[in-house]
Amino acid sequence: MATFAARPPRRFSAPLVLMLPALLFGLLVSLQWRTQQERSELTVRYNAPLLDAAKSLQNEQDSLRAQLAKLRTDLDAIQRGAASQTSTSRDLQARIEELRSAAGLTERSGDGVLITLDDARSSSVSQPSTVDKSICHSTDLTDIVNTAWRGGAQAIAINDERIVGSSSVYCVGSTIMVNGTLMSPPFSVVVIGPQNDLLASYDDPNELRDIKQRRDVYGLGFRVARQSSLKVPEYRGALNVRYGTPQ
Amino acid sequence: MRTNAGGISAAIVALFLGLLVVTQIKAQDVYSRSLQLETPSSLTTLIANLAERNNGLRDEIFDLRLRTESARQDASNGTGSLTEAQRQLSQLEVFAARTAVKGQGVSVKVDGAFDDKALSDLVNELRNAGAEAVSINGVRVGPRSWFGIAGDRSALMVDAAPIKGPWTVSAVGAPEVMYVAMTRIGGIIGQFELIYRSTRFSVDRESALALPSLANPPRG
Repeated sequence: MATFAARPPRRFSAPLVLMLPALLFGLLVSLQWRTQQERSELTVRYNAPLLDAAKSLQNEQDSLRAQLAKLRTDLDAIQRGAASQTSTSRDLQARIEELRSAAGLTERSGDGVLITLDDARSSSVSQPSTVDKSICHSTDLTDIVNTAWRGGAQAIAINDERIVGSSSVYCVGSTIMVNGTLMSPPFSVVVIGPQNDLLASYDDPNELRDIKQRRDVYGLGFRVARQSSLKVPEYRGALNVRYGTPQ
Repeated sequence: MRTNAGGISAAIVALFLGLLVVTQIKAQDVYSRSLQLETPSSLTTLIANLAERNNGLRDEIFDLRLRTESARQDASNGTGSLTEAQRQLSQLEVFAARTAVKGQGVSVKVDGAFDDKALSDLVNELRNAGAEAVSINGVRVGPRSWFGIAGDRSALMVDAAPIKGPWTVSAVGAPEVMYVAMTRIGGIIGQFELIYRSTRFSVDRESALALPSLANPPRG
């Protein structure tokens, strides 16, 4: 110990002296870049409790969904066990399986198209008057989904949220929610279905006119690509059938 | 020489580390970054929406717990769980639009100029407010339904069916929630009234709606 301390640690001093400023410099460059993209911290201050509430609700939703998925699996296992008993229950179970698949409650894989939608990244179009046209809106997503169903899509997911009969794309300010999950660009819309029909639907000049024009003029990120072996997850939200009864 | 080279490489590594740390922070926080830009009023709407969703999930979890328990008992008694299977089936039939449905809800009447995008937005808004089943002039909207406009522009299309105006959009679900979602200040009907100035819109709570099943359920 004593001999080590007595020796001047020259060999280490140069890198250490360089390292600290370099680390700080790296942090500063990134932070600078970051703050330029955001509003001042002052406006953010008043939102802090609301932001915390929104985030904790989103986290709570994730855990509720996990509980729901577990219960669905448990109930399925019991049902399957019981279904082997009589032919009536076997028929019922088969019908349930068919409907679950039709309703989007099962994972699906196959060929199709992948659509990407993103805000314009080029800084040249960021004048206030054109910002609105160069960013993604919730209606862009509903239009993209509509075009996919029109082209014969069998299953669709937006950023891993499966689109089902009760799905909605909801927009508050500049935040987008799909099935109640908060999202922000870029969006990837996975569409499984007949590739040629889907591509023809997206190529139709009458479809998605606004999006295509904003892509060409304002640099909105919009791409449609043929893709094989795609996968969409099952719907993980609540079915919420409370008011409607079969007639 | 060795010391210098070591020092420089260490410095470069540190520089990258600094950059990486911040990039990582950014990447982990994608949606909260966009949330920070929201106004308090937008955030409040967002929170109400999230809370509503979570309540729906909680209700369903509660319901499923009871059903799992009774199915388990049925199975252990050897009686099978036909009741549970039938309940599941009827729930799925409503959800997938494979059965005619009755129940409370709202109806939205649109008389005048309107288009397919607006109709799609209206259905989207009703679904967001918890609509369980939707039909337009007696044509049921399914999970894979699309909206369009007829070639001669005389009608709107739901799947392959042309539907001429005036349109009545019926939605089964919580009447009060949907009614408020439609008619609130700055809500979708208010926006429509500004855009389609000569079109008349009305929203009514309905105590007994009857919607048909999906005309041509898609295969595959």
